[in-house]
Amino acid sequence: MRQAAPIVCTLLLLGAGTAKAQGFNLKAPIATQPTLVTGVGQSADIEMVKVLLNRGKVVFKADPQAKAGALAATGSKSLVLVIGGSSKGLGAAGISAEVDIERAKGLVAEARKLGLKIIGLHVGGEGRRGQMSDKFITGAVPLCDYVIVVATGNKDGLFNQLCGKGRIPLDSVEKIANAGAPLLKAFK
Amino acid sequence: MELNRLHLSNRNLNLVLLAILVTVCVYVTPGYLAMRRPDALRQGPGVTRIAHLSDWFADIKGTAGDTDVYILDSGKPGGSALILGGTHANEPAGYMAAILMLENAVPLQGRLYIIPHANASALTYTDPMEGVPREFTLQASSGKRVFRHGSRATSPMHQWPDPDIYVHASSGQQLSGSETRNLNRAYPGRADGNFTERIAYAITSLIRKDGIDLTIDLHEAAPEYPVINAIVAHERAMPTASGAILNLEIEGVVMGLEPSPATLRGLSHRELGDSTATLALLMESPNATQGRLRGRTDEALILTGKDSQYVRGQKLGRLFVPYDEKGWPLHLRVARHVGGLQAIFTAHAMNAPERSIVLGGVPTYDELATKGLEPFL
Ligand SMILES: [Zn+2]
Repeated sequence: MRQAAPIVCTLLLLGAGTAKAQGFNLKAPIATQPTLVTGVGQSADIEMVKVLLNRGKVVFKADPQAKAGALAATGSKSLVLVIGGSSKGLGAAGISAEVDIERAKGLVAEARKLGLKIIGLHVGGEGRRGQMSDKFITGAVPLCDYVIVVATGNKDGLFNQLCGKGRIPLDSVEKIANAGAPLLKAFK
Repeated sequence: MELNRLHLSNRNLNLVLLAILVTVCVYVTPGYLAMRRPDALRQGPGVTRIAHLSDWFADIKGTAGDTDVYILDSGKPGGSALILGGTHANEPAGYMAAILMLENAVPLQGRLYIIPHANASALTYTDPMEGVPREFTLQASSGKRVFRHGSRATSPMHQWPDPDIYVHASSGQQLSGSETRNLNRAYPGRADGNFTERIAYAITSLIRKDGIDLTIDLHEAAPEYPVINAIVAHERAMPTASGAILNLEIEGVVMGLEPSPATLRGLSHRELGDSTATLALLMESPNATQGRLRGRTDEALILTGKDSQYVRGQKLGRLFVPYDEKGWPLHLRVARHVGGLQAIFTAHAMNAPERSIVLGGVPTYDELATKGLEPFL
């Protein structure tokens, strides 16, 4: 740890540095803390986003199946959607893809009503694409105020298309670890 | 008269067959029995004590289930971790990673426990009808090293017969009878259970009595198996596993994250996480020798993972890992495990600094991937 932690931190910062040099498409922070992290598609990718937020010291609560009715009570000031389908995750939660999409849409509608900004992340790359995941992507991405995607998940430009050619700011990163920098920049 | 002659020739034939059978038995028995001789492992510079698993559960003392537990104690405050190799003795990257750790690691903070052959009985035989070699050889820096290659489950010589249906004791889950001898379906084990359940119980007892913070069970899987090149984690171990995967990604090693299914019982990542305070994790690497699509099964396949049938399987989209003519060599699979272990320890230290486990002397993923295992054994 004593040896590895500084290396890991340096690499994270280097990652952030490269991303900064390229410049993000999101020009100013949009989201307020604390945030609520939820899954759209119930994949384990939500765990990776929790690490990014933890390491960036963003204050958050996580509930993979957060529901609209309970949003106000969480005191959250923004919403993070971790997008990508997992049949295993849905199976373990005992819900269908359709039910999860409807839940996410209801949650987003409630967040809008409460004036919360919504950040969408797709960090699963190529493995989190295909018929099932794409349902969640096409359903959730157009509802976001800002989207971050790991590049291998956007080889066909689906995210650019869904973000309406610049209507929703979209940032693409090479690795999950690199998603930390733009994500942190999105928070005030 | 004629009948009599026929009778005689039958008798002669029987005698000839019997003689052939005896010759075959005499010829193969030394090799079969040799598998009961333990591999010679080098005691690394960090090993402070070699204990026996029976120290934590005396009932298995003197049985084929007892096995060595290497303890590497830094003498400095910190956390503790248990590495399990050889839960399945036909998954060599698992136990070779454990052996590489015990022969190289120097603990700088905390305590490390290593059981290279968690199911020692499974290492005493090879699966019938599989044609898998019973050993493989490495020209290591310390000289020629021969390592045994065993089976998935406890030897039927030590636990027999199998029931038609294996009922997991604490959940009532029903599996095929042969799973009765699978250590990774026996957790948390039973003091009065069968041979395999008692090994599991001894490991669970070690974790409880010595307050092990992290338990990592090292496995391999067939390339056509969906959970592969992945860390499987109990829900309490999720922050450790996801942190480790991020650390590995920064080093250029891609590892998947698999939550331990709540309904799949008897596995280390489920039961040890549920019934002890340890953070339970399991790692999988791709091993063609266990696969159903494999062709010729020899020592080279164990060491190189090169198999034209798997290259074909990849092209047909039947695999869950990339597979080309370069294969998946043993040293690369061990590199993933060793790199994974270090990434797990780093992530754990970031989450619980006072429970850090810090190791020196361990080759990095890149060193193992480029130089192979030989310089470190
Ligand atoms: Zn296994």
